[in-house]
Amino acid sequence: MNIGIVLAGGQGTRMGIADRPKQFIDVYGKPVVIHTLENFDIHPEIDAIAVVCVKEWQDDLKILIRKFELNKVKWIIDGGKTRQESTYNALDALKEILHEDDIVVIHDSARPLITNRIISDNIKGAKEFGAVDTVIPSTDTIVRSLDGSMISNVPLRKELYLGQTPQSFKFSIIKEAHDIAWSNNIDNATDDCQLILNNGKEVHLIAGDKLNFKITTQEDLLLLKSIVKLGKLERI
Amino acid sequence: MLVRSYKIAAPRSFENYIDDVILNKGEALIKIDKVAICKADLRYYIGNRDPRLLGLKYPLNLIHEAIGTVCKDEGKDFNVGDKVVFVPNIIPDSADFERLKKYNTPELGENYCSEALFASSNFDGFSKEYISYPKKNLLKLPEGVDNNILVFLELTSVAHAAYRRIKFKKGDAAAVWGDGNLGFIICSLLKAMGIENVIAVGKHMDKLERFPADKVFITGDPDIEKLSIDAAYECVGGDFAEAAIDEMINSVEIGGKLVLSGVSESKIPFNTRKILEKGISIYGITRSNVEDFKSAISLMKISEYSNNISKLILGEKVIGNIGDFSDTFEEESHNKNLGKYILDYKF
Repeated sequence: MNIGIVLAGGQGTRMGIADRPKQFIDVYGKPVVIHTLENFDIHPEIDAIAVVCVKEWQDDLKILIRKFELNKVKWIIDGGKTRQESTYNALDALKEILHEDDIVVIHDSARPLITNRIISDNIKGAKEFGAVDTVIPSTDTIVRSLDGSMISNVPLRKELYLGQTPQSFKFSIIKEAHDIAWSNNIDNATDDCQLILNNGKEVHLIAGDKLNFKITTQEDLLLLKSIVKLGKLERI
Repeated sequence: MLVRSYKIAAPRSFENYIDDVILNKGEALIKIDKVAICKADLRYYIGNRDPRLLGLKYPLNLIHEAIGTVCKDEGKDFNVGDKVVFVPNIIPDSADFERLKKYNTPELGENYCSEALFASSNFDGFSKEYISYPKKNLLKLPEGVDNNILVFLELTSVAHAAYRRIKFKKGDAAAVWGDGNLGFIICSLLKAMGIENVIAVGKHMDKLERFPADKVFITGDPDIEKLSIDAAYECVGGDFAEAAIDEMINSVEIGGKLVLSGVSESKIPFNTRKILEKGISIYGITRSNVEDFKSAISLMKISEYSNNISKLILGEKVIGNIGDFSDTFEEESHNKNLGKYILDYKF
């Protein structure tokens, strides 16, 4: 089985919108999380979807899932205090259902411009390598500063990539990595692949897409709305 | 849902768009899998149309030869995973039915409806990840035929629309002018339909030698006018259509029939005196309809026909991004060979 795990547990404190998490902000008639879920729901290789959601928004999510007829969402799971805890909650909830070699495709709900190809490549890569991360090459030079005021060094750009999601894994590999992290009191990893690397295993790269960006700030939201609006150009 | 879409925005210039695809009543949601580029697409790509018309059309999703996979159908006419071909000629529900009935005769069909929409012209074409498409314009693909060959269903349907304009009698001879893809396909179709004497006329012997024709001639050969041709198909178009049509008029028998399918931007003069003297009938064909596609699907099940069509596949191009898409259009715009590329959508 290939399971999409969509993380919608964040509060979006950087958005400047007080009454709802960023993933519930409307973009031309649909919340961001629904735009994202539609891409998983329609994908022929995705068998079922689990959504990790803050408790107080779960009823709203259920209503939206019915309204937009998303047939593959089978589980709504409580969000955690951190991203790591949210993912763990999903893995824990699925442990009786999934087998070792089943694939989990873990994706941010705030990346609505994911493509069919990225999901397909993630599933294929996770089956072959066990763990994959979606990335794009860094086109900007990245500078490293340890104190926030001076450059410490400039890493070689060709060796740098920007991490996106999905991150996809064989269930046994990601579950084991999370269990070990908890037993070592690591509870605030921002990225599942870090846990795999900490566990001494390889993570392979999948080509992402610049438009698969994350809605984190108002500027990102403006960009998303502008992009979608362009496509709505009507002929007279 | 938000999907990737490549639109032509100016000659030789594609742009990335995100389209919000909404599943409408009477439609199914389809993932577009494989497509091919048509000469009409290339005219929009190169900008070889009236500038005012281009200004009204751009930005535009090109491509009308395509197959895909059903992802959602609330009405359950199709199952998720069904492979389908798109019929690009769409009759809107608002079309005047009484007027439409006038067109809906075996000889004509709804492809002559003036209110019809056509994908990649005045309706969205298939240069995108997914599309919500009228179910009445979707047909299931036959099993056991390679998907790359099935991309030629649209061209086969157009060839069928040309074929059905003539009522052949046993022993009739048919000739095809034009050594391009449509000429090849009409020749293949005529042979599959049992026409015993099929002649191909063109400018390039290296192409004509690959045609499934009984005889081939280079245009201008004086022996062409000695042939006994009952029906002649013009698949030339452009500036060379004039010479081809003139040769066709000179070559057909008294009472012969000409079927014109090539698109010319300029007006083409005809030798009307000879048309009158020979009592020639001239038929115009444009596009195709659902029934033509059904006939095309039946033809594809004939292995001799589908094997012939497979010779038109120059190769497969994986389209991972807009650069791949643009590069393939550029390559096709310079393609002088018989055949074309199949574009495998992976974006």
